[in-house]
Amino acid sequence: MVNLTIDDKQVTAPKNSTIYDAAKINGIKIPILCHDKKLKPFGACRMCLVEVEQMRGRQVPACTTPITEGMIIRTSTPDIIKARKMVLELLLLNHPIDCPVCDKGGDCDLQNLTYEYKVNANRFSDEKFHHEIDYSNPLIERDMNRCVLCGKCARICDEIVSFGALTFISRGIETKIGCEFEGSLNCEFCGSCVSVCPVGSLLARPFKFKARFWALTNQKSVCGYCGTGCNLTLGVKDNKVLTTVYDENQGFHNGQLCCRGRFGYQFINSDKRLNTPLVRKNGSLTEATWDEALELVAARLKGAGSSAAALATPRLTNEELVLFKRLMETAGSANYDHSAGYAHAALTEGFAKSFGAAASPATILDIQKSDLLLVIKTDSYETHPVIGFEINMAVKNKGVKLNILSDKRGKLSKLPDAQTLVHTPGSEIAVINALAKTILDDKLAAGTAAAIPGYADLEKALAGFTPEAVAGQSGLAASAIKRLANDYAKAEKALILFPIGNAYPGHNADLASAVANLALLTGKLGTEGSGVLCMAEKNNSQGAVDMGFYATSGLNAGQIMDGCASGAIKTLFVAGENPVVSYPNRAAISAALDKVEFLVVSDLFMTETAAMADVVLPACSFAEKEGTFTSVDRRVQHIKPAIRNIGQSRTDFEIFGQLIAKLGGQAPATPATVFGEIAASAPGYAGMSYASLGETGAFAPVAVTAAFVVPKTVAVEPAAGKLALVTGSALYHNGTLSQFGEGPMHVCPEGYLELSRTDAAKLQIKENDLLNVASAIGSTKLKARITPRMPEGVLFSPYHFGAAAINQVWSGAPVTWVTVTK
Amino acid sequence: MNVHDSHRADDRHRALERVMQQHRLRPDSLIEILHAAQRQFGWLDRDVLGLIAARLRLPPSLVYGVASFYHAFRLEPPGRHRCTVCTGTSCHLKGGSRLLQQLEQHFGIACGATAPDGSLTLENVRCLGACGLAPLIVIDDEACPHASFGPVVERLTASLDGEDTSP
Repeated sequence: MVNLTIDDKQVTAPKNSTIYDAAKINGIKIPILCHDKKLKPFGACRMCLVEVEQMRGRQVPACTTPITEGMIIRTSTPDIIKARKMVLELLLLNHPIDCPVCDKGGDCDLQNLTYEYKVNANRFSDEKFHHEIDYSNPLIERDMNRCVLCGKCARICDEIVSFGALTFISRGIETKIGCEFEGSLNCEFCGSCVSVCPVGSLLARPFKFKARFWALTNQKSVCGYCGTGCNLTLGVKDNKVLTTVYDENQGFHNGQLCCRGRFGYQFINSDKRLNTPLVRKNGSLTEATWDEALELVAARLKGAGSSAAALATPRLTNEELVLFKRLMETAGSANYDHSAGYAHAALTEGFAKSFGAAASPATILDIQKSDLLLVIKTDSYETHPVIGFEINMAVKNKGVKLNILSDKRGKLSKLPDAQTLVHTPGSEIAVINALAKTILDDKLAAGTAAAIPGYADLEKALAGFTPEAVAGQSGLAASAIKRLANDYAKAEKALILFPIGNAYPGHNADLASAVANLALLTGKLGTEGSGVLCMAEKNNSQGAVDMGFYATSGLNAGQIMDGCASGAIKTLFVAGENPVVSYPNRAAISAALDKVEFLVVSDLFMTETAAMADVVLPACSFAEKEGTFTSVDRRVQHIKPAIRNIGQSRTDFEIFGQLIAKLGGQAPATPATVFGEIAASAPGYAGMSYASLGETGAFAPVAVTAAFVVPKTVAVEPAAGKLALVTGSALYHNGTLSQFGEGPMHVCPEGYLELSRTDAAKLQIKENDLLNVASAIGSTKLKARITPRMPEGVLFSPYHFGAAAINQVWSGAPVTWVTVTK
Repeated sequence: MNVHDSHRADDRHRALERVMQQHRLRPDSLIEILHAAQRQFGWLDRDVLGLIAARLRLPPSLVYGVASFYHAFRLEPPGRHRCTVCTGTSCHLKGGSRLLQQLEQHFGIACGATAPDGSLTLENVRCLGACGLAPLIVIDDEACPHASFGPVVERLTASLDGEDTSP
């Protein structure tokens, strides 16, 4: 700690702080326009000038000057106030005073400082700028006439998002922020630039002219898309969520969000939300009362036993999932599952066996504290973009080494010094085994490894996985495998990350065990910056696992579908899932749901699955609920309702509770009561309560009981003349819910088929050509997207879309062999 | 583009690639590489900047930002002839700036711009380091010391008229 004096106050601050930071942590406010705590100091705006006595009273920028012992600083002498006034006069010289129509009004740093420093006249005069306003995209408006050139947008896009869409162009008075060739913005549309803009230069277009900033009520919540667990502030007016509000102090991510988090909120107040319960009468769904609908469902469930089954989306709260399970148990059925039954297997089977706990023994906070990251699939950026930002920052700011094992290249491969090993699709487990084999052969294993149960079996099982043997089937050089194994084993701290989800059937229990073996062999577990992080797809996927909402004694999702088809399952209750789109093999799923006698769907929207139902119950979004979500790293976070229920919709908590009561059971009164039960029973949740979770949430610790498990490998046999289709997530989407978020749909409105330049040339395909993709189970039509990241012979398609869905082609195998024709 | 042109383009790309390799594709050698590219191509077009960005793993916006910052880099094709007027302190005092104005008027081109037919680019430079020759003008890499309006116009007109415009 360093001792210094600021404004006659004796204060201390950590070494390496700047004057600005030191003042801030001691509650002294220094005005500034170009500073954001996530970004490196820049010193562009000159508003933060202070006087330092040791520098003979010279005015220095507080944001770039490091503190030294005994420094005597004055932040608001008459001279400084005069200087700041002049800075504001100079800024206002070119900045248009169009505050009445500017959406930033009330939240504008320049406006607030002008008011604070009483700049009511200007001694200078000059013309305003006449830059053209960029309206070319539907999400971000760029009005460079209002820009004060603080550079925050360009810096956040480079330092955190690592995209570099914006930069300073030209110089002197002509300087402006823009894209290459002064063209229009064409980027990831995460809106980070909008969030940090101190003036109205960069605005969220969906929020334009919707409300004045001071008319909004800010409600804190947790994002309802992926499993990262980002905190959100929802801007609410008249029971409508109108925007997300940036708060740099929120969450581990300091308010940083991705496209779907920032711009995907529209589904909450969408016109397409279901408002009333619907009951099928004479073949069509007609409006009904809640009583009527719930009576029908209760009558079907009562005493149904194992002929009833349930599928839930892991977007429900922990409390709702517990209640749903209880409802099924009251009905006498143990048939309940989520995420197609296989998408949670990495946790519920893989980690459960390897670590003795169905959770990841690492947190997101370990990413920046590690020395080496091993990322399985570049898709990790697309599935969890804010974790992707953490990786960007680790690599760019902390010098963490990045190694990627993937079936295609991606944004992460573009990071400085990133090593990407592109293997043939489906061979990842063999490659990871080869890494383990190299670690054993090169005597890189930790001394403790041999004592872990299963060591001898693993050693024996890995005999055939020499790098040379795996090189052939994986398309990698044996030397590359050996180098990666050495790098991983020799790094002091190393973290492995991999995504799981409906679209990643190859990321199964065996993959989880294979990576767990690596960590156990080298002892990279249980210390800060080391471990394995399995990134589950949805906002409460980890919670669904922790609540035990998956098949243990009953049927799993796949078997439930088979049961529907065979007639063994007569009543199916689907809460929030949309199997018709999100489960593989659409024809089979549709046929099964057609066959089942009674289908109940509770959902926000009339999804493809809901349209087949006999009873549809309008459910609530996360913004209307109270409960808890558990993120991929088991951070348990409490959410409170930000708005009242839309229409007649009810939360799934109310729906399940009322059904339990109708079946004669005892329904808990509030989510808090259920959370009390969770805290008493779920492993790691002991001692938690809504009060103890607070605003930041709390980690449910993972107790590891290590064991080596031999992963099964299935060799993917190439099919002659066919191309390998792999499925996955698009950056802008998560599950099927984001189809109802306008922001993501503006940027990525439909499915597509990504293919390599070589294959495109061979098949004479041009960008945006409509292609017919056919496999053994069916065909669909998708637009071509030709990208340099795809290896020859490999195709990629995202799975989120109901129209021209890839699950008409995709059988659920990690690799589907298809033919592509124009 | 005919066969001859495409061959030349390939040579130029190869030369640029050689320079980038000499710099080991280091992003911090961007400015040197931009100079090399401009030497090869005469100016920096979208394709060349895009290529450099991709090879150095830099965002295209940043490469464009750097190229637009320095006046040394041309982002538009130069004319077939080039007239550079020195407006450094000595040349300015000796009437260089006035000369530039006169030339702008005479040829109807603003300083820094190229005639619509692509025949002539008129530009200024801050100092050529030959103050003893003020006012100094450089026409197509050839210095015209102690320049004055009449002779310069004559010289330029001769160059423009003497152009071989046959296909």
